[in-house]
Amino acid sequence: MTYSSLLFIYGFLPLSLLIYWFTPEKMKNTSLLLLSMLFCALNSFRFLKFIVGYTLINYFAGLFIGKFRNKKIISAIPLFLGISADVIMFFMFRTDFLDIFKDKLKIPYEFFPVGVSFITLTAIGYLIDIYKKCIRPEFDIVKFSLYMMMFPLIIMRPVIRYNTFRRMINDRKVTLCDTGTGLTIFVKGLVKKVIAGDTMYAMYIAVKSVDIWNMSSVNAWFGMTAYLLSLYFTLSGMADMGAGTGYCFGFRFPHSFNYPVFSNKMRDFASNWHIQIIYWFRRYMSKPLCEMGKSHVYRKIIFISAWCCVGLWYRFDMNGLLWGGIIGLTVVLEKYIRRFRILKITGIIYTYVITIIGMVFLSGENIGQSLNYLLVLLGGNKIFADSLTLYLLKYYIVLMLICTYCSTSLFRNMVMRSGKSRIKSVIALLSPVVTLVMLALCTALISYMGSSELYLISL
Amino acid sequence: MKISEISGRISAVMIIMALSAELIYTVSGKKYDFSLNENRQLASFPEFSFSALKDGSYGKQLNEYITDHFFMREKWVSAQAYIKSGMGEKIMNGVYMDNERLLDAEISSRYISEKNINAVNRFFKNHTGMVYFTVVPTSSGVYDDILPEYLLTNPEKNQINALYNGLTDGIRKIDAYNILRMLNDNYIYYRNDTKLTSYGAYYVYRTVIQKLGFQPLSYDKYTIKHITSDFRGNLYNKCLYNGTKSDILDIYNYSVGAEVTGCTAYSNNGMTYRKTLNDESFLESGDMYRMYIGKEEPFIKIKTSVNNEKKLLLIKDSYADCFIQFLIQHYSEIAIISPENMEKPISSFINPDNYEQTLFLFGIDSMNNENLFDLINK
Repeated sequence: MTYSSLLFIYGFLPLSLLIYWFTPEKMKNTSLLLLSMLFCALNSFRFLKFIVGYTLINYFAGLFIGKFRNKKIISAIPLFLGISADVIMFFMFRTDFLDIFKDKLKIPYEFFPVGVSFITLTAIGYLIDIYKKCIRPEFDIVKFSLYMMMFPLIIMRPVIRYNTFRRMINDRKVTLCDTGTGLTIFVKGLVKKVIAGDTMYAMYIAVKSVDIWNMSSVNAWFGMTAYLLSLYFTLSGMADMGAGTGYCFGFRFPHSFNYPVFSNKMRDFASNWHIQIIYWFRRYMSKPLCEMGKSHVYRKIIFISAWCCVGLWYRFDMNGLLWGGIIGLTVVLEKYIRRFRILKITGIIYTYVITIIGMVFLSGENIGQSLNYLLVLLGGNKIFADSLTLYLLKYYIVLMLICTYCSTSLFRNMVMRSGKSRIKSVIALLSPVVTLVMLALCTALISYMGSSELYLISL
Repeated sequence: MKISEISGRISAVMIIMALSAELIYTVSGKKYDFSLNENRQLASFPEFSFSALKDGSYGKQLNEYITDHFFMREKWVSAQAYIKSGMGEKIMNGVYMDNERLLDAEISSRYISEKNINAVNRFFKNHTGMVYFTVVPTSSGVYDDILPEYLLTNPEKNQINALYNGLTDGIRKIDAYNILRMLNDNYIYYRNDTKLTSYGAYYVYRTVIQKLGFQPLSYDKYTIKHITSDFRGNLYNKCLYNGTKSDILDIYNYSVGAEVTGCTAYSNNGMTYRKTLNDESFLESGDMYRMYIGKEEPFIKIKTSVNNEKKLLLIKDSYADCFIQFLIQHYSEIAIISPENMEKPISSFINPDNYEQTLFLFGIDSMNNENLFDLINK
């Protein structure tokens, strides 16, 4: 079951809200945990077993680290064991290097626990934080389980640190207004996923279905832009749906994306794309490494390597590595270029071009294919446009422009800057109606298949 | 109270009411087993089993159940078709939605199964009679100028050529593609189905019957009966898009010519029964097109009042259903074999050697099914 399925929207979500409301205050965490377990079980019982196992391993690893926290060397043992277990899980499901483990554990090859990459980061961060004495380990297994497997978090969670989560879970109350806000965020995510993400993906597929040596360069640009938008809207849509659901239960998760696409410098793109993931790599990777050396060049190299790791986290192969590398490298180089004065629009175009080049690697099947595509982007086929271009212009351009507009912060800024409270109140009053209409639109769009399960990247 | 708070509360109440209303209606609404408009069996409530829960199929089945019995499902699906075509995304569930007609958008993913070609070649080698093969394009092949180019990486013309090139030389291949293509200003294909109309079938018949050694009847000799004008076929079933006009089903009758004197159907379980060729009771079902030859049976034998002692073995799929009415004037006996419905080998129904002519008549999309001809050589 995923957030964008009829069973979740019209079955699980309203029922779980009702159950949660009518549970007495003391039992609220337990009921939320049971609901989450049901959610996992409906995905598959194997998934539930996996996630419970994962939770228990990290729970006990955390306890042991905490117990020996004053003895650095002894506490390093459970830390090492815990992190190894997490990393093995990550590699086991994301790559096929560790298929031996799968055979031993009798896990079928087609089983993929959605969100395993996010859970790995969460768990590793938790263990390191205890080891570094930033936090105390959690003794309450219900709370810790919620941190790991709460259903608003499970699919594409914002990777938050445990002390943030602890503050949220201990101090939360749900008002009707919060529920409304949460559901609005949920519908916003649904719209992103079902309307923007899926249609942009269809456009990308339309471009991709033509043989690469017959592709015109305009189409190639359209195709990659569509992929970029589709990826952005799918990832941020899933994150919004999770965050919105969390809001209904009193958890105010942060945004995962802060309008990264069409920024005017690569630095903005890099710091607004999947914020918590990037933050995680900064905190647990580049920061400790940077503290080791003071040289300027060394730090730059660390920065770029951290981005390479982000790339590998997205896709564990050369393509992922290159995507991360390109972004890291341009952010570093940008500092030197930016001494010259540039116009905002030039900045946007430059960022866009770099992002697209990155996307060519992130979307390609292998390096060779990506390089071919890059060549086509630059006009290597000597075809500027063809009949497909006209078709794309005719049917997709409006949607693409709307998606482009929505992927920028223009609308939000307009609302924020309009000092007149009248505009704000009109928008506030319109919002329930718009939300309801959007919900109906999305329901219609998933009514045939019953769900929209296209993730683009299995994370 | 701040205005944003009021708005939040209104949102909460409205959305939760909408969600629960839909849920309550879905749960309490009347359940149907079969959807007429979609022409398919709807999912039944999944029975709980631990193994289904373990591999995740239980959750999927539950979602399917909710989806199939979703309150006002058909309205929602129709709305989806309108929204998609309005947004510019013309393809829904593999159907291309043009204002004029619906077309199969997945033609390029088809391939012509080698197994089928070999089976037909073997059939030709094993039997003494003449073998004729006609493959009919789908509406997407004849109207492919409507489809965007990127869907046409493997056009039907190539598929048909590949098929004909694979058949041995002794088999007479009869071209239907070019004739139909030439006539595509006429109502030769249904707007909501992949198949030929009776009018289209008439033109295929004209070519085929000459190759089989007869003079075709001229068009004006027929009296045409409109059976219904509400037909919406297999493409409509997949998207429920009402933006196109519904179709007309016709029966062509040559009143002073030969008649069907006997029509017997043979089921897989050995049962035989007499029937009329057309069966108008199917007009009330989800698949009106079946009206042409009635219930799907592996073997139907037609005797006519023509007394030329000529017998034809017709091996066919549903594309031939509206074609049979034209053959009645030429043969005293027509044996119709539908490999799609066969569960027993062909020899348990007939001996193909008793027929001096065998005509294969198929839609090109059936050639995708690689198990289609498994039983015709046994």
